[in-house]
Amino acid sequence: MEKIITILSIIISIALIGGMIYLVSDGSNTSDDQVAQSQNVEIRDGVQYVTITARGGYTPSVTEIRGGIPTKLVVKTNSTYDCSASLVVRSAGFQKMLQPTGEEIIDLGIVKSGEKVQGVCGMGMYNFLVQAI
Amino acid sequence: MKTYTFHVSGTHCPSCKILIEDTLNEQVGIERTTVDLNQEKVTIDTTLNEGQQKLAEMLTEKVKRNGYSLSVEKQTKEKVNHAVIWEAIPIGLTFLALFFLIQKSGILNFGLGGTVTPATSFIIGLVASVSSCLAVVGGLVLSLSATVSQDKISDVKPIMLFHGGRLISFIVLGGILGAIGSAIGINFTVTAILGIIASTVMIVLGLNLVGVFEKIIITLPAGVFSFFRKIEHKTITPLLVGVGTFFLPCGFTQAMQVAALSSGSFLSGLLIMGVFALGTLPMLALLSFGSASFAQSKHAPLFFKSAGVLVIGLGVFALLAGLAGLGVIDPLFNI
Repeated sequence: MEKIITILSIIISIALIGGMIYLVSDGSNTSDDQVAQSQNVEIRDGVQYVTITARGGYTPSVTEIRGGIPTKLVVKTNSTYDCSASLVVRSAGFQKMLQPTGEEIIDLGIVKSGEKVQGVCGMGMYNFLVQAI
Repeated sequence: MKTYTFHVSGTHCPSCKILIEDTLNEQVGIERTTVDLNQEKVTIDTTLNEGQQKLAEMLTEKVKRNGYSLSVEKQTKEKVNHAVIWEAIPIGLTFLALFFLIQKSGILNFGLGGTVTPATSFIIGLVASVSSCLAVVGGLVLSLSATVSQDKISDVKPIMLFHGGRLISFIVLGGILGAIGSAIGINFTVTAILGIIASTVMIVLGLNLVGVFEKIIITLPAGVFSFFRKIEHKTITPLLVGVGTFFLPCGFTQAMQVAALSSGSFLSGLLIMGVFALGTLPMLALLSFGSASFAQSKHAPLFFKSAGVLVIGLGVFALLAGLAGLGVIDPLFNI
């Protein structure tokens, strides 16, 4: 009896751990996530604007942009009180608690092709990636 | 002077050695007590002229309150204990999976309007208490309450002190934020480091609850545990931990701190933070008083081990997230 419980327990545990890893693993590298891109990138007067919505995480999680031109990140909040409001963009030296509702414009400078800009919330639970191609 | 050796049961923690020794040494007629946790034996030198059976009963009376008992014959260990961990792992993991499912489902991301009023901050508090903040604050509350109730059965004083400390710090510091209008405790790096410390504490307490340390207790010097025991049982400690939760990393707490900051007056800052803390209270109270009541039920061993598994999971998650937040490692998840 004890053996059956042990074996059952191991099977259930592995299934649960597998499920959780699938659930929370960072999907940045899967192709599904890249569908939403290009809609949130806009070039105006030679400046590339990337719009990210912050609320319960960041959307889209991966954005591809053109490299080599001045780029600005526009982070929109809409009654955002969760972790995603405490934004850290390390490569731009940006670290700020965003207003619950509003827009924050972060100058990324010129992002060279192949470079990546990673945004992460203060507690590290949500993140997004902007990569120049 | 006679020397007797008894079998002891209920010793689940390193500090039990000191607790039993201290308690028994206080008794009249007991000269010296030595507890061997490895062998589960207690040796006493006594000037009392009682039979060994009578002594066992007398001394058990003194330590029963803390969940120990002494006996002349070795009590057959409940066989159940070995199987408990196999039940506890899936239970703990199920709760952990439930936690991630709730986060992933997005049901916590409903709109609350633009400005923060005491009414909305209460709702935000309710939401925060089941949000990803639960990983840090809730995990810490669960691990501490379970650990405290494991050591001291039916003692809710530390839990009350913790919640009191938390409420008071949110009210007072919220008021101060509103009054001075500048940042305290909103430094990202400081909160992230505190979060990492908190998650490390959770992992250690979780491992202890699961029982990993039972095997290696003896290799660590008793002095270390005596130190921890003193901290654990001081009135001030749960109070300070409660106060400290103000500074723990939680997006909602920080958003409320900013709201209190920009509210412009002591009273409005106090209201926003105080009501927010009240909103988080039901869930945290459930976790802590739930632990205390489970600790007294017959399912106590299963509860402690399941809680341990859950706390380790939350601790690892919070630790990895905290490191990612600090930029030490790449983010591993997006919940």
